[in-house]
Amino acid sequence: MNKLIVRKAAVLGAGVMGAQIAAHLANANVPVVLFDLPAKEGDKNGIVRKALDGLKKLDPAPLASKDKLKFIDAANYEEHLPLLAECDLVIEAIAERMDWKNDLYAKIGPFLSSTAIVASNTSGLSMNALAQGLPEAVQPRFCGIHFFNPPRYMHLVEIIGTQTTDASTLDALETWLTSRLGKGVIRALDTPNFIANRIGVFSILAVMHHTQAFGLGFDEVDALTGPKIGRPKSATYRTADVVGLDTLAHVVKTMQDTLPDDPWHAHFKVPAWLKLLIEKGALGQKTRCGIFRKQGKEIQVLDLGAQDYRKSAGAIAEEVEAILKMRNPAEKFAALRASSQPQAQFLWAIFRDVFHYCATQLENVADNARDLDLAMRWGFGWAQGPFETWQAAGWADIAQAVAADIAAGKAMSAVPLPAWTLEASRNGVHVPEGSYSASKNAYVPRSALPVYQRQLFPERVLGEAGATPAQSGETLFENEGVRLWCIPAVDRKIGIISVKSKMHTIGNEVLDGVIAAVRQAETTLDGVVIWHEAPFAVGANLQQVAEAIAAGQFDLLEQTVEKFQRASQTLKYAQVPVVAAVQGMALGGGCEFVMHAGKRVMALESYVGLVEAGVGLIPAGGGCKEFAVRAAEWAAQSATPGEVFNYLQPVFQTIAMAKVAKSAVEAVDYGFAKPSDTILFNANELLFVAIREARAMAEAGYAPPPMARAITVAGKNGIATFEMMLVNMKEGGMISAHDYRVAKSAAIALCGGEVETGSRVDEEWLLTVERRLFVDLLKNPLTQARIKNMLETGKPLRN
Amino acid sequence: MRQIQDAYIVAATRLPVAKRNGMYRNVRPDDMLAAAIRAVVAQVPGIDPARIGDVIVGCAMPEAEQGMNVARIGALLAGLPITVPGITINRFCSSGVQAVADAANQIRLGLADVMIAAGTESMSVMPQIMGNKMSMNPAIFAHEENLGIAYGMGLTAEKVANQWKISRDAQDAFALASNQKACAAMAAGYFNAETTPYLIREDLPDLQSGLVRRVERLAEMDEGPRADASLEKLGKLRPVFHARGSVTAGNSSQMSDGAGAVMLVSENVLKEHNLTPLARFAGYAVGGVAPEIMGVGPIAAIPKVLAQVGIHQDELDWIELNEAFAAQSLAVMQELGINPEKVNPLGGAIALGHPLGATGAIRTATVVHGLQRTGGKYGMVTMCIGTGMGAAGIFERV
Repeated sequence: MNKLIVRKAAVLGAGVMGAQIAAHLANANVPVVLFDLPAKEGDKNGIVRKALDGLKKLDPAPLASKDKLKFIDAANYEEHLPLLAECDLVIEAIAERMDWKNDLYAKIGPFLSSTAIVASNTSGLSMNALAQGLPEAVQPRFCGIHFFNPPRYMHLVEIIGTQTTDASTLDALETWLTSRLGKGVIRALDTPNFIANRIGVFSILAVMHHTQAFGLGFDEVDALTGPKIGRPKSATYRTADVVGLDTLAHVVKTMQDTLPDDPWHAHFKVPAWLKLLIEKGALGQKTRCGIFRKQGKEIQVLDLGAQDYRKSAGAIAEEVEAILKMRNPAEKFAALRASSQPQAQFLWAIFRDVFHYCATQLENVADNARDLDLAMRWGFGWAQGPFETWQAAGWADIAQAVAADIAAGKAMSAVPLPAWTLEASRNGVHVPEGSYSASKNAYVPRSALPVYQRQLFPERVLGEAGATPAQSGETLFENEGVRLWCIPAVDRKIGIISVKSKMHTIGNEVLDGVIAAVRQAETTLDGVVIWHEAPFAVGANLQQVAEAIAAGQFDLLEQTVEKFQRASQTLKYAQVPVVAAVQGMALGGGCEFVMHAGKRVMALESYVGLVEAGVGLIPAGGGCKEFAVRAAEWAAQSATPGEVFNYLQPVFQTIAMAKVAKSAVEAVDYGFAKPSDTILFNANELLFVAIREARAMAEAGYAPPPMARAITVAGKNGIATFEMMLVNMKEGGMISAHDYRVAKSAAIALCGGEVETGSRVDEEWLLTVERRLFVDLLKNPLTQARIKNMLETGKPLRN
Repeated sequence: MRQIQDAYIVAATRLPVAKRNGMYRNVRPDDMLAAAIRAVVAQVPGIDPARIGDVIVGCAMPEAEQGMNVARIGALLAGLPITVPGITINRFCSSGVQAVADAANQIRLGLADVMIAAGTESMSVMPQIMGNKMSMNPAIFAHEENLGIAYGMGLTAEKVANQWKISRDAQDAFALASNQKACAAMAAGYFNAETTPYLIREDLPDLQSGLVRRVERLAEMDEGPRADASLEKLGKLRPVFHARGSVTAGNSSQMSDGAGAVMLVSENVLKEHNLTPLARFAGYAVGGVAPEIMGVGPIAAIPKVLAQVGIHQDELDWIELNEAFAAQSLAVMQELGINPEKVNPLGGAIALGHPLGATGAIRTATVVHGLQRTGGKYGMVTMCIGTGMGAAGIFERV
């Protein structure tokens, strides 16, 4: 198989995972047939339809836009198996029972297309054993495809070949999953729980073991094992609640049943207290009660000593807090080991046992250490994989310390560290040539699959070769705010504008830089791409705004807004194509840059919105202007060319309510992006594609759009009609007087000022209207309070 | 000019009322109107349709599918002679009963002998509640006292609930009773006399065969009433119009599609054709209140019409008080001391639906047939009207 083309896919099993996998396929515009058992009563597709309904309600949303549901057809095994003949990819995601899966395979076998890839989303069963249940002809096209929950958001997919899987099948599938579904693919070996769950669940067991050993509270442990050590906010016990305590127990049971020879086997059981919770039906989030529960507004945690729930606190000892703040990992680990504080000892213990386990099992579960580290990053949201952490802390020191603890009987298992970990010359597992493979006793380079050439700056592990973007390419222009550069090996004549500020906020120096960079590009380059790592930009630099307000420099502020507008217009009317390569948040001014670019290449996971209302402002970097222009353009194409109001209505709601598009698809729905823009599922491919888009536009003889003139505006009647909505919201107690004021300003800006309905204006007029309204709002103490609150707390103030 | 004769209703009918985007989602309001006119004319076979002086049709959003003077289009589609004219009138929710009053007055003044009054409204064809194009006058917002014009109807109901202290519980109980009465009336067949079934014909694309599939079904019953309504279910609904309000989708009228028509004649025609009238048109009045409490409009209209007819409120046997919202219905009853037992004996708009401009004609059919069945003498159709008005018409069984 050279290339996988999935004209249609089937997902068997409409459970939590199956339905969400189907949703993500639908996100990628792949038509899906979602199967489940026929319902015993009523509509035979009832089970699947219920699951599809559920997709609309789940948070975070599995669907990039509710509209994507149309790509999914409901089906059942009784009536619709012949539909499988059209499916190029069949993903089985039913319950984890070998006998059920075998029965299903026997049932579908006769209906499969002779070229379809058949894959199981099993998380624990042996793939080689499962393969036996399929006809021999299908076996070369059968493999494991293990998604992580929630599949849209978790980057990891483990694919697992069997002894009979065709190598080219796996290559084609990996390529497709990487580029089309945007996943981080790791090849796992056919061992129980594969890589991420094997290590991740062990890590949870180790945390549980040491929680008890050191007598810590669950809330305390979550405070310690969350972002402080580079792991997700839900840390350990909250994650367990979210996953479901029964599900966790099931996964542990699989380890207990299938890994009898694992040296840690004695620990593959859930603690008694957890068993008790499950028996009581306290299964975590789904039953609203687990290790944590919410009583009114208070979050409570189970206290084993008191045998009851108490208010969750989770304080970290000052001494430990200080250690965790240390920048140097070697010093940090040394301090943890040296400290007698139980929290510090606990932290060292959980790291030690995970290091010990990973080192011992590397040869059994993964081809190499990079695969294991990336699997933990992508599957469990760890900032660093375990080997990276170890290597950063000083490989030899840590190895000695682990070995000493094993010898002293402190580790969870007495099995000695593998010899390779203690080699005198070893400084780590990741070196410029590759990552260590225990089974091959060699350093293995990255995959040579062509799809990875699309990732100009792939996610690298610590110690791996490869420069960061800031160190790469040739700099063509640079100021304090931005760098204009190019990658000669890719395209010497397409410039890349990268913003340098923190979170890529847009301040004065960024505006100056963008304008200067585009001007330079116009004379020396064929096109420009605005690209840097996520987020695209979280908005204007509020700190600068707050300082100017404090100094009463409203003239200066107006000049800055004017410069912002000029920067936006520079992007829109540049003589070379400007392509915005968007990923992550693009808010406020960031969104305005996105809107003004000649074209957008967006990662699916782009969160775009004009959120100025949250700080009591309206978009004034051309955002309102641009929507007024577009509404006039949309109306001009309709049967009633002068009726722009209908096109402004949804936009007004988006701006007044500071709505954020939760995907690139929604960004198109909201009008921040255009249907002709490019949406990529793998953010790592953005730069590669954006450069090519810019090149193609340049080759096609790019010319900027003609200057918008004679723009029909909704004027006074439009403003009044928006005001009617606002009156009802205010009188209905839904918005405050200041919300009203801010929203009315947005209405005025979108309607082109308080002029006669149907008046014709130009862009300069619209920019002036939005700029004046913006500065007026800046002078309002309530807006100033909102800005202050946002800077201090990061949250919007409702006043 | 002075009234020279009485006007009598000799026929009154209506189509089953459909939920918005329900069984009439593919039925045009002008077709509904034509069906209602055809049916009402057919009920009095002796009268030559050419004698009809005018067709007056109420419609609250007379635009798009129900624009272009829908009265004339409906009359022509109904097969009335081309010599019979038609006029569309609009006073929002009272348009249908206003049409009855206007038609009666033509007869009372001696300007016509036979008239048709009707109402039609499809809320399914309206893209939004305010019609096809929203455009408010900026002058409304220039002065605080005019802001009420901009209030949504639901918000006015909240204001009424607040001012007349109508509790959420009382509203929900009223809504439940409306549904229960409507379901019981349907089961007892009480709507049969006033209802003309409507044959829905839909031409739908059959994607499998590639052919147009004609689907026909007969609408015989109102679609709105909920047999499964309960205080528990009503109590779970969230207020829609105010963050801390009491007005919900459950205790508000339903948005609907429907049409109704009434034939009125002079005393001469009655005698000439030896007809037994369903009722005599006794009187009609309208009045104004503040737009922000438009729901209490009937308070301004009812005393006026009672004085005009010369009867006391207690002499009314049957009151069709349009349930725009439970809150305003209860406030009106409370303010005027109306006996709740006489109000909406077959349920009201919360259960039966409220196709705006058609409702007045539809409920006229309900009250005149209801008086016939129960032997009552006076019946009234009354409602509140957006932007702050009330209307009330009285009919007498003779």
